Amino acid sequence: MALRTVTRKLGSKLFPRFSPASLLHSHATSFGFKEVREEEKSQMVGNVFSNVASNYDTMNDLMSAGLHRLWKDRLVSKLNPFPGMNHLDVAGGTGDVAFRIFDSINSIKRRTLQNVLEDDLQEEAKVYVCDINPNMLNVGKKRALQRGLGEDKSLLWVEGDAEALSFGDNTMDGYTIAFGIRNVTHIEKALSEAYRVLKRGGRFLCLELSHVEVPVFKDFYDFYSFSIIPTLGELVAGDRESYQYLVESIRRFPSQETFASMIADAGFQKVEYENLVGGVVAIHSGLKI
Amino acid sequence: MYRLAAKRLLHSLGTPLSNSSSARIIQFPPLRTLISHSLFSTTVNSEPFVSQNPSYSHSSTSTADHTRRPRVEYQDEQAHVLQAALLHVIRLGWSEAAMIAGARDVGVSPSIVGSFPRKEAALVEFFMDDCLQRLSDSIESSTEELRSLIPSERITKLVRIRLEMQAPYISKWPQALSIQAQPVNVPTSFKQRALLVDEIWHGAGDDTSDFDWYVKRTVLGGIYSTTEIYMLTDNSPNFGDTWAFLDDRVKDSFDLKKTIQEATYLAEAVGAGMGTSLQGFVKSVFRG
Repeated sequence: MALRTVTRKLGSKLFPRFSPASLLHSHATSFGFKEVREEEKSQMVGNVFSNVASNYDTMNDLMSAGLHRLWKDRLVSKLNPFPGMNHLDVAGGTGDVAFRIFDSINSIKRRTLQNVLEDDLQEEAKVYVCDINPNMLNVGKKRALQRGLGEDKSLLWVEGDAEALSFGDNTMDGYTIAFGIRNVTHIEKALSEAYRVLKRGGRFLCLELSHVEVPVFKDFYDFYSFSIIPTLGELVAGDRESYQYLVESIRRFPSQETFASMIADAGFQKVEYENLVGGVVAIHSGLKI
Repeated sequence: MYRLAAKRLLHSLGTPLSNSSSARIIQFPPLRTLISHSLFSTTVNSEPFVSQNPSYSHSSTSTADHTRRPRVEYQDEQAHVLQAALLHVIRLGWSEAAMIAGARDVGVSPSIVGSFPRKEAALVEFFMDDCLQRLSDSIESSTEELRSLIPSERITKLVRIRLEMQAPYISKWPQALSIQAQPVNVPTSFKQRALLVDEIWHGAGDDTSDFDWYVKRTVLGGIYSTTEIYMLTDNSPNFGDTWAFLDDRVKDSFDLKKTIQEATYLAEAVGAGMGTSLQGFVKSVFRG
């Protein structure tokens, strides 16, 4: 409890202008606990990810103690990929989620090959990886090469903005965004774009660091994120600022319930969420009809 | 009769699952609000997140396609997918593949299959609900015919009507049974069977709610299930052996009921006799 108060006090001392209500009406947006102009946010987020791209996976493993792999597995198992699906993974530059979807499709294909009529499910699956940051995409492409997927026609790398996707209406079966929507300037725009590109029956899934409400665990989590993660970032990636941004942006992200209603407002139905590790991350899902 | 009419109406609206006699018919799971807690994982399956702004249908200024379409509820769409998937069950089994094929048939992205929490079980449960619905419809429409039969024949007839519904799927029915028997699916399948047995007793004109209630339902549940299993290995034309088997089991149980009745009378008589002699004994003791 003491720790939380300390961090809070520190936060208000450093950023005295912070007040959530004021943000709603101004053209300013949040960058961590800082208020910045809307145009600047994407620039600043861009810098963060350019800085961390090379160490991104090592840091993810360190910060989450490897758990992020399980979370991503859970996301893909909720998505339930199927052969012939068109999938869009937004903000998935390093390809973590895309590779999992790819593997899952291929294993299902193998499993059902015997009893499914070939003409039915012959179409080739396509997984699009869309990221605004070319540095992150390069990391992903490199990893695809290592996995022997460099030449694969069904894995496509696209540089693009989640708020203005370059894909046509009703073209995608699935849309995932893992640890990405937090960094988008206008979450509503990103959601309505997701709704636009999805087909009828298509599903939206979002894996995002969220809010912990479990009493004692929350204090530990706050201590961990405000004291350990930035230090870890400094030691391993040599970049304290970026990881300070990371933990602050998590706190600024809407709560599970609020985010769920934002998804519903974008037009999705059957909006649900699942908290993992007590709310450290949450998987939100929605269905377009 | 009104139920039939209501069902037609609902069918035209695309909700084959809704039912006017809703008190007795199971509701499709997504309609409920489920919140399950475990230590570090919370799932919230909720309806409260409905868009606060239901003005979709009359926003004509927007150019986007989806804003002009009237809002369709996802439950209807899921039901359409399952209905279409049933046509593929014979070929693909009670499987995700059948559901994917069904989704393609109705022009919905197969991605929707991922929105069923228990996948194949949803398909089997949909079929069970559908059959129950059809059974109550045929009870409605053949009340006169049923009334002319004696109770044991009514039961036989209703069980037969119900089992004939799954005859087309008989080659894949063992798979359906194994899905129903999976621990996560047991609560729903148990409930569906209870509703089915209840419906059959109601159809047979039994509306009592005495102590017998449980006995009747347990016995009929047993008959239904054994006949269902018998049917799996029955190769006789039109399942003739199954119906003979069913007939015998129902007769047996009605005989058993008679036997129990007789045993009760006997016990009462013996009890009365014992009582009298005990009374006599006590009296003689006190007199002495």
